[in-house]
Amino acid sequence: MDLILQFCMNGLMLGMMYALVAVGFTLFFGVLDVIVFSHGDTVMIGSFAGLAMYWWLGSYYPELAVFWMTLWVLLAAVAVVALLGMLTADAMIVPLRKGPPLNTLLATMMLGTVLRESIRLFFPDGSNPQTFPGLLPDWSWQSGNLNLRFDNIVLFCSGACIIALVHLVINRTRLGMAIRAVAQDEEAAQLMGVNFRFIVLATFALGSSVAAFAGVMNGMYYNEINFGVGLLLGAIGFSSAVIGGLGNVYGAILGGFIFAFLQTIGVVVMPFASAYKDVFAFGAVILLMAWRPTGLIAEPASKRV
Amino acid sequence: MSVKREKAGFEPLYIDNVYVAYGKADVLSDVSMEILPGRITCLLGGNGAGKSTLIRAILGLTPPRQGSIAFDGVDITHEAPHRIVARGIACIPEGRRIFPKMSVYENLLMGAYQEKSRARIRATLEKVYALFPRLEERSRQLAGTMSGGEQAMVSIGRGLMRAPKLLVIDEPSLGLSPALVNENFRIIRKICEEGTAVFLVEQNVRQTLAIAHYGYVLSQGRVVAGGTAEDLKKAEQVQKAYFG
Repeated sequence: MDLILQFCMNGLMLGMMYALVAVGFTLFFGVLDVIVFSHGDTVMIGSFAGLAMYWWLGSYYPELAVFWMTLWVLLAAVAVVALLGMLTADAMIVPLRKGPPLNTLLATMMLGTVLRESIRLFFPDGSNPQTFPGLLPDWSWQSGNLNLRFDNIVLFCSGACIIALVHLVINRTRLGMAIRAVAQDEEAAQLMGVNFRFIVLATFALGSSVAAFAGVMNGMYYNEINFGVGLLLGAIGFSSAVIGGLGNVYGAILGGFIFAFLQTIGVVVMPFASAYKDVFAFGAVILLMAWRPTGLIAEPASKRV
Repeated sequence: MSVKREKAGFEPLYIDNVYVAYGKADVLSDVSMEILPGRITCLLGGNGAGKSTLIRAILGLTPPRQGSIAFDGVDITHEAPHRIVARGIACIPEGRRIFPKMSVYENLLMGAYQEKSRARIRATLEKVYALFPRLEERSRQLAGTMSGGEQAMVSIGRGLMRAPKLLVIDEPSLGLSPALVNENFRIIRKICEEGTAVFLVEQNVRQTLAIAHYGYVLSQGRVVAGGTAEDLKKAEQVQKAYFG
């Protein structure tokens, strides 16, 4: 029983992280009809921006309270990644829209490589894994096989708050209404007076900020980051978004948790081969796609004609 | 950027020697028109005459490659669509183009996207609901689940939400039943009587000329006739543009 609870807890943590990454994929696809393959590496940049901030604070303000420290690390990650996202959209994705969509796919993939290699080459000792600080106090609660870590609970709850916030922005604000309008009919939205470029930039800032949080969360959860983490996180986030039905924010969140659930199942049923949990999960994704080609929460087919 | 809100008076929309091309082929060549305040100007022409392209050029979606478009005394030829809309041009696009996964209420709000004053939004909303009581009954329904006629109401109501100076209407009667078409023409006349200039693009020649004050005929990307509605009714170019 304890063990099952422990698996559930870990699964939920991972699921939250994947959901946060998947939300970005689905938002970008919604407004621009593109898959931004560099999104996973954007998450990685978030981790490293947070780490850099932590080092900087550590050398100049070592006495800073934990709360402020965490907040600054988060802010640094969000600021850097939001800027990077907006730059990617404005300098690369929007101009490339005049060409075939495959060009955008290729360009974002290449951008991912550039981001990865830049960290490897230019971040101090970037080719080796870096220790990411736990930041929060390492209180934990042990009962039998169940080990509840305080920082995990905080991370999970903050992740849930971020998702709730995204939901509010999309559904309850004028900006969110414009984002949905652009996603449903870009030209009609412009005819209503929506500034298309502004909405694209805002969407990329939003999706990337959420990813930055996932990056910091990833660092704090594993206490280690390396320049390659974005590759797997990107593949997982993309799969989650597709499982849920691309373009649907709730689908992406659901997809993230399903993927984490699949990984966890993989570990539980094959404890002797837990290294293959990703193989199991991705295999299950292929089966899911064969069963529901349009994703679990399907968009009405009439949407894009 | 301050937008004058008085509807009645604006400098006309001048379209001056406009050429629009998709790729290398000119879809419009040397098109010149004048759309004046206080009246319904119509644009007639068969399929592929370039009517919708002209609309796209006016609203900045497909900027002309040559020539100029000026509205209210300002050159808007190469402005972005949202800037042009801010100057007081609204559009009821061809094929309605409502937002299918938004409620009727949200669709109407989108029409007033640039309006900051909540009081003014509420006031125009009341007006639109008075014009189409059905929209008020269905305000929570997703627009994509409504019937074609109801969607047309949403699209027209949305176009009126910002009390524009000039309303561009592209093929409003396409795909509607004859009764709804009549209703549409009645509403368009009413919109004009309340002080909004209307640029009406239509294939339905007889009914359009019955309510329009002035009109142009487009054929193969060129203006082949222009004049008062009375003149156009007699003109043989109109016959030609439609029947070869």
